[in-house]
Amino acid sequence: MNAESAFHALYIGALVILAILMGIMVVRSVIGPRVTDRILSINMIGTMVVCSIAILTVLLDEGYLADVALIYVMISFVAVLILAITYIPEHPRRTEHYRLLEMKEDTPQDEEGGDEE
Amino acid sequence: MIAWIRFIITAVLMIGALGCFVSAVAGVWRFGFVLNRVHAAGIGDSLGILLMMAALAVGNGLNMTSLKLLLLVVLLWLTSPVSSHLMSQIEYYTNPELYEHVTRDEPLHPAQTRNTEKNKKQGPSGRSHGARKRKRR
Repeated sequence: MNAESAFHALYIGALVILAILMGIMVVRSVIGPRVTDRILSINMIGTMVVCSIAILTVLLDEGYLADVALIYVMISFVAVLILAITYIPEHPRRTEHYRLLEMKEDTPQDEEGGDEE
Repeated sequence: MIAWIRFIITAVLMIGALGCFVSAVAGVWRFGFVLNRVHAAGIGDSLGILLMMAALAVGNGLNMTSLKLLLLVVLLWLTSPVSSHLMSQIEYYTNPELYEHVTRDEPLHPAQTRNTEKNKKQGPSGRSHGARKRKRR
């Protein structure tokens, strides 16, 4: 057994373990109770896919796959970003937050007036 | 001989990276709330990818591909905290039962003082105590 086949076996084993972990995260994203659990699981799957692509870069000795991994990182980040700006802005809890902020600026005079009466 | 030394370094680093990923997945699987899960997922995003790319750079030798793999680490270290922050923000703004999991003594946020307004009208004395006690609706 020379070093080349040892490297090959190591990379294949790492790919198999990463595939098992990705399967676990897919199950987690299906049973996740809220939307944030699913986004988090998909983000972790993205990280592991980047690792798999990097391993394949070295295993197959194809340099352009590293560029694919770079693009994959950017796209998975943009996915989380777009989901965040889709979910956050017009949500009732946030509008309630701003309403309460305005109410809190107005309250002191009202409260003192109520106590005096 | 040098090839075997390189193989041993690569194997140690890669086993460490896979350990990081396994612990991150175990944390995401076992924790019960999203903010704890974000904490657990940060392990794999930072240390796991660093060890993995270091292992591949050692195994590949010093050339342009290894440099690209290390650039991948820089890019992921820049984007992963922002992703965690955005996920925590989504959770904060959209979870109606957030204060069953999160408690603070001092209200940071006006939405937390919702019950305090009621308590102030009932009596001036038990304000902070009531706010602490009746934090969730």
